[in-house]
Order: sequence, then structure tokens, then C-alpha cells
Amino acid sequence: MSDRPTTAVVLAAGAGRRLSPLTNRRPKPMVPVANRPLLEYVIEAASAAGVDEVALVVGYERERIQTHFGDGDDWDVSIRYVVQEKRLGTAHAVAQAEPHVDGPFLVLNGDRIVEPSAVADVRDALADGDAAAAMAVTRSDRPRAYGVVTVRDGFVETIVEKPRRRADSDVINAGVYAFTPAVFDAIRDTEASDDGEYELPDTVERLIDEGGVRAVRYGGGWHDVSYLWDLLAVTDDVIDRDGGTVAGTLAPGAGVDDRCVVAPTASVGRNAVVGAGTTLGANARIGPNATVERSVVFPDATVEAGAVVRDCVVGAGARVGANATVRGGTATVAVAGELHEGVRLGGVVGDDAAVGGATALAPGTVLGNDAVVGDGASVSGRIEDGVTVRRG
Amino acid sequence: MCGIIGYVGGRPALPILSAGLSNLEYRGYDSAGVALTDDALSVYKKSGEVSELQGILPESTDHTRGIGHTRWSTHGPPTDENAHPHTDCTGRVAVVHNGIIENYDALREELADHEFTSDTDTEVVPHLIEAELDAGAEPRAAVEAAVDRLEGTYAVVVTIAGVDELYATRRDSPLVVGHGDDGTFLASDVTAFLEHTRDVTYIEDGDFAVIGDDGLTLYRDGEAIDPPVERLEYEADAAEKSGYDHYMLKEIHEQPRALRQTISGRIDADAGTADIDVDLPAEYVDSIEEIQVVACGTSNYAGRYAAELLESVVDVRTTVEVASEYEFDGGRDPWRTLVVAVTQSGETADTLSAIRRAKRAGARTLAVTNTLGSTIVRETDDSVFIRAGPEIGVAATKTFASQVATLTLLAVHVGRARGSLSYGRARELLESVRKLPNAVQAVLDREDRVREVAREYADSDAFFFVGRKLGYPVALEGALKLKEISYDHAEGFAAGELKHGPLALVTEETPVLALLTDGSRPHETLNNVKEVQARGAPVIGATGTDGDGEASLGDGYVDVDLPVPETGALEPLVANVYWQLFAYHVADEKGRPIDRPRNLAKSVTVE
Repeated sequence: MSDRPTTAVVLAAGAGRRLSPLTNRRPKPMVPVANRPLLEYVIEAASAAGVDEVALVVGYERERIQTHFGDGDDWDVSIRYVVQEKRLGTAHAVAQAEPHVDGPFLVLNGDRIVEPSAVADVRDALADGDAAAAMAVTRSDRPRAYGVVTVRDGFVETIVEKPRRRADSDVINAGVYAFTPAVFDAIRDTEASDDGEYELPDTVERLIDEGGVRAVRYGGGWHDVSYLWDLLAVTDDVIDRDGGTVAGTLAPGAGVDDRCVVAPTASVGRNAVVGAGTTLGANARIGPNATVERSVVFPDATVEAGAVVRDCVVGAGARVGANATVRGGTATVAVAGELHEGVRLGGVVGDDAAVGGATALAPGTVLGNDAVVGDGASVSGRIEDGVTVRRG
Repeated sequence: MCGIIGYVGGRPALPILSAGLSNLEYRGYDSAGVALTDDALSVYKKSGEVSELQGILPESTDHTRGIGHTRWSTHGPPTDENAHPHTDCTGRVAVVHNGIIENYDALREELADHEFTSDTDTEVVPHLIEAELDAGAEPRAAVEAAVDRLEGTYAVVVTIAGVDELYATRRDSPLVVGHGDDGTFLASDVTAFLEHTRDVTYIEDGDFAVIGDDGLTLYRDGEAIDPPVERLEYEADAAEKSGYDHYMLKEIHEQPRALRQTISGRIDADAGTADIDVDLPAEYVDSIEEIQVVACGTSNYAGRYAAELLESVVDVRTTVEVASEYEFDGGRDPWRTLVVAVTQSGETADTLSAIRRAKRAGARTLAVTNTLGSTIVRETDDSVFIRAGPEIGVAATKTFASQVATLTLLAVHVGRARGSLSYGRARELLESVRKLPNAVQAVLDREDRVREVAREYADSDAFFFVGRKLGYPVALEGALKLKEISYDHAEGFAAGELKHGPLALVTEETPVLALLTDGSRPHETLNNVKEVQARGAPVIGATGTDGDGEASLGDGYVDVDLPVPETGALEPLVANVYWQLFAYHVADEKGRPIDRPRNLAKSVTVE
């Protein structure tokens, strides 16, 4: 077992722009699912699979990551931080970790939730064969959003990133790789993509012809938070998998479903209802008679008395005023010029945004950080950071 | 102020002592040394940081016991000779010491026939032991007899060639024993050996500790007693830099987390109560005429912040004293005076001495500290922990925030018990406390802007920090941070005082950093901002918003506007994070050794 890689390079330098405004101040790996950052699930899976050294590649808003994970002691791993000063793609990010790698190693995406078996199986596949690399693949019902892979005889045959037209298979790159140090030469030979970045799948494509890439089929839980509405769905799935934990101060008459995660310092007021699939972060406060269902409430946020909040993300320190209504349900949401129809998203209230009393947020409303909605206003669509909306 | 370490056990002593000294370096770093013991002593000493010493240490040795020391000079300059351990004439006895031996002149005269090689007070100790040994005393008796002669403050550890045991004792300087699986450790602070064990025994004043192959034997008043063993919760590696360039920056960024720990489980905003787990009976709190806060440096400024809150919001007469200036006097009634000591380490000698004066006078004492098991906790009637986690950077940052938050909770507790703080006002204050972690995070999110500003103004002639009321202690603290780590001339003033003198110092080359937030009378301070702008000084404002929460108070008046999230009376505390980042980036721009500023040490255990 001594030659089995126990070092993992974890990629956590990206910004995750599609999750704006949640990623305007925090990197995507620090977006919380069931009150724990995405990256924590990745580090835990690596640790459970026997990884003891982690080179964490950080960049965008890296202080949040460093402060949370420290030296990794709480996860039984030793973490070194590798700073990717310029974001020049995932292959470039891996290359930054070269000085910390000695022998075969794993590469994990810092924002995909996988189980330990994915990590262990990929490592073993590389160690037990003589391929240049191994990579986990899984099935997806929307393969075109990811790297589509075709597999022949246990080896990767083709890999096409986000195909424009039709996907040749439902099998996608799960974002878990094992490499030998030879990969660093392959990275140096990798050409920049159209937007000038060096991407790991392009490096993998080179390795298909230079020694072969073992495809490791993975059928376990795999969760990606690409879009804002994914956060609600993935939270639901993770609570379903791991069970809820309801701590915090619950006033008399407060009803909190077991399938919730409530931080010990959160509080729920009299007769408030907190429905299944909801998470309440540290210091979050739900006022009396409020209803919160299938929502993610970040730390320090407040939902005031009588508000109804469904299918909603309430950012850190945000305030949803008394009797405000986020009625929930499906909507068509535009992200970076692309329309997504029929997604279930009641709304997003950015960090430190303030939604006034008796306001109404139409499904799919996205309020930026520090945005202010005046009392009684009705809003829909996307409101940028810091903008104030008054009742007109 | 120094760091001590000792080890006896089954493993090579040298790497343990060497790593322990590195961990203790925050206590002093102008010279260091180790003594390794078997049938003879091998002593290595070097001026400079611990790394200098490590450069002259042998690769490895077979010794399994020894002592080490990192020094912060009080008597004699930092030279190789003045570095500890100190030895006797024969080279049989080696001693490390933290503290000050006040009667060393007299002792030195008495030891006239001994040959002294340093300027230190410490060197009398090995010579006293040598004299006792020469007179036929057994090693332990010799050390006890020598220590009996000492006046002043000390923690000493002694090793003698050919003797299997180390001897240690203390008076007013910290000393803690660690019980490992494969040996026993002794140190000024648990951080020295936390990677080896968390089972510890704190040595009390006057205790005599013998560390041998069988572990610790503890003598109190001449009788062997069962040493009380505690298990620590601190984590050894919590003290690493986690990808930050300096501990100070790491700790600045840890503030939201530290504040969460500080307030966790302590506030019930709906009930308007703060539970700080301290036994102050309501009748006693009601009877208090005055609260006196004693503290030094940054802790003193945290105390001033609290005093302003206690007086203006809670209606309790409160005074703040610099601990080294403190006397219990002025005709105060000790039965009606609560003396609150604020100290991060719980070992600050000036603060300990102030608290002893208060106790002698008969006043009740309360400690607000970050360190479980510290001397102040054992010496005061009650204590409250600020729960900020270990702080390594010499310049205090997160502990200031946690101190003020803790003291705010104390103020609410006192105000509610006395009935002088209304339910509504208590709720409001607690709501501000609850918002603190997130508000501080919002400031940290603007670090890039602060870095730009720091770069732009780094080369100024001097820096003046101004604020009123709750903003005044923050002005003092802001200036102190800059002095400590960038070595720039910086002063904090009550904004209204500028025109009574300091305005003469203001030029185009002296930026003024102004607090314009809730709790700091921003509209009045704006007048002072105009005064300095008229003299061409650039103004950097940490500004809140006006009444309806929209326009910045600094709009149109300040050159740089750093927004402070709404947190009521705690806005100045949030704004302070800007001043921390400013000081850090100015110092970083100048390449200063930020975690180890010249002439300073983390916790000052000499008066």
C-alpha cells in the first residue's frame, strides 16, 4: 500500500460566478450545504479514504478557506495552502501544487460532494495498473453541463467539455482523478483553451494517447452546486442522506421538522414553522409565527415575525422583514445571459440585504448583496448588489 | 519576560527543547539557550532569535534531560553571555529563570568569591546552589535553600550534572508541568509542549516541583502532595499560520469566528439577558458604587470601551486605570467597588500586581481573560473567559474584539441586575452583539481596499487617529497597532482635543483616521474632520450611515470612505478592524517583522 497516493491536491481557487451573489464575497467551495462548506465534504471524503496530506489550491477569497480549515487538524489531514495567483484554469491550478507532490497523487474538485469510495477506487485503479491516470466517471441526467466521457474497455476514449450539441453518452467526468508526477509534463504541453485557460480535462485528453486513462465507474452520491437552485436541491439530498440535526433555541410552540439542520446558536420564535429541507446557520433568527420551508438560511440572517419564506436562500446577515412573502415554486431564471426554465427557486436574498416588511418576492427573484427592498414593495427578476428598490 | 522549558524522559531531549523554544518565542526572542544534562552539562547559548541558537546546536545527542530558555532582556543586553541557562563556577549547575530577582545586588556581594560571567540577575541562582552543594547539601535541599534566599518574581528550573531530576519552583511567574507518555515537560506556557501532551499540572506559588524518570513529585509546604492534573482542550496546531503570511493577519481574519465563540450560548436577545457564567449576586451588583477596570495596553483600551458603555448606557460609575499606575485610594469604599482586571494572557505582571492591591484593600475582583488556568484566574474572586482561542501575534487583534464583546455582555448583566438598563436598551445592545461576527466579516471582505489605502499613505510623516466617546478608545487602539508593528509615529486623540494642541502637528503629510459611526458622536467629529482638511491633511474615515440607513456620514467630507455596517454601539469596535488591517498593510509594505516587533513581547510578566 505504500505506493498508494495519500496526497490529494484539492482545487478550491475558483470563484463560482454562476452562484452570484452568494459567491461575490465567498469562494464557491465555502458555500454551505447543511451548514457546512462544500469543501468540508470533499476534505472529509479524502480523509476517510486514507488521504493524510492535502495541498489546497486557493485563490479567490482564500482567507475564508484558510480561516475555516486552518492546518486541517480537525479533519485528520495536514493541509498546505498553495496560492494560485492568477486564475488560469484547473490544469494550471494543479501545476501550482507540483512542489508539494512526490509520487502518485489524487486531484479533487473542491466543490463537488463525493463519497470516500470514489476517492479510494480511483487511487487503487491507478496503483493497480500501469495507466498514466485514473478518473472517476458517473452518470448524469444533464450530461451537457459537464465533461462528457465515453468509455471503452475500462479506459476513457473521449472527453468533451460541455458539448454544444448532443452528448454522446450520459457518462460524465466526476471530478476525481489520480495521476503520477508525469502529469506535470503533460500540463506543460497542454494548450490554452479559447478563453486562455489551461483546463485539466484537456490534459486528461492528452494522457488518453500517452499511457491511457482508467475510467472508474462511480455510482455513489454525487452533488454539484452549479446554480443557485441547486443549493436547495443538494441541501435536501444531503439532509436526506445524513439526517437532520435540530439544535438551537426553540421557543414554545415552534415547530421544526426533523429533516432540518439547525445550528446550536440559531433560534426559532414562538409558533414559527420550519419545514423539511431547511437549514439555519449560526446565530440565525426566525421570528414568531414565521414560516420557513425548504430554505437555506445563512449565519446571522434574520427572518422576522410572520414572514413566509419558501424555496429561498437567505444570505449571511440578511434580513427578511415582518410579513414579507417569498411564496416559492418554479420560475424562469436568467444566469449569465442564459435562460433556465422551470427551476424551483422562490428567491435569493443576498448577504446583508434587507427586505422590508410586507414585501413580496416573485419566484426566481435574486437580490444582490446589500440590496434594500423598501416596505410593501413587490420585486422580481435580478437586483444588483447595493441597489435600493422602493415601492413605486 | 521569558520562556522556559524543561524535559526529562525516555526520548532525546534536544529536539523537544528546540521545538518548545520555537513555540515559546512569542514570550521573548532576543537570546536563547539550552543545557543538556548527563554526568556533565552541555550548554549552548546565542543572542538573537531561537533560529540563531538552532544554528549552533548539534544535529543530535543522547541526552534525555535538559532545560531551555528564550529571553526578553530586563537585566543586561541581549548577548551570548547574558542568555540563559546560567551556570555556577564549576559548570555543575544550570538555571533558567523568568522574572526579576530584586535582591540580586545583595546576593552578588555575598557571593564575592564566585566568578560571574554575565550582567543578569539570574546568575546569582546557580552560584547560591553551588554554595549550598559545597556546604554538603543534597541537590534538592540545595535548590530549596537557594530559592529561599530570593526576593522578587521568578519561575526557575534547575538541572545539576549527575542528578537525574530537574527542580522547579515559582513565585508570580507562570510554570506548568505536562505529563506525557514518554516523559515529563515543564514550561512557562502549555504551547511549548502541547504537541506532546494535554495533561497538565499548574504549579502554584511556593510549590516545589521535582521532575524525574517517574514524573512529577510536587511538594507544598514541605509535604508531597498529589498533583492536580487537568486535561486541556486547546489544540496544539491551532497555533499555525494556515496559509497566512503572519499570525497577525490570520488572527485578524479569525475575528468573526472568535466572536461567535465569545458570544455562543451567552445571549438571549428576546429576554434581554446575558449569561456570562459568573457568580455576582444581584444584591452585590446592586450595591456597587463603582467599577474600576485595571489593564495594560490593548486590554486597557478594551476596558475604556467598556467603561464608556457602562457609564453612558448602563449608568454605573466606571473608571479605568493603567495597571502599573494603580493604587486602591481616593477614599473609595472597597465593599462597594468591583475591580475588573482585563488581560489576554492572565499573566501580565502589572495587572496581577494591581489586582493584589485591590484584594488587600478588600475589594471584590473579577478577571476577564483568554487563558484558562492562568494566574489571574486563580487570584481573582470570579473570572470570565473571552474564548478567542490562542493568539500568537504580539499585536493583539482578535482578543481585543472578544474582550470588548465579553465586557459588553458584562455591562448588560450588571445593568439588568441593577435595573439601570432598560429591557429595550438591553435587547438593542444584545442585537448589536449578535450582529458583530457578520459585520466584522463585511469589513474583512473589504481588505483589498484597505491594502490600497495603506500603500497610498504608508510613507506619511505620522498618523493621527481621532474619535469621540466609544470611538476614542478605538482611536487609541488604532494608533497603538500602528506603533507596534510599523514603528510609525501614530497618536490617538479624542477628536475634540485636536484644537487644544495636537492640531499643530497636522500637515499634508499626516493622514487623519477618523471614526464617524454610531456611538462616537459622528456629527461633532465631522467638525474636527473639517479642521484637519483645512490644513490639507488627508482624511480616512470609517463611517456609519445616517439615521435612515442610507447616506454615508462621511459623504463629501472624507478622502477615503470605509463603510461600517450598522451595529449600534458596537460600530466603533467593527471599525477598529479597518484600523487593524491598515496597520498590518502599512507594516507589511515596509517589510516589518509583524509577528515579532522589535522590543516587544506577547505577555509581559515583569513590572
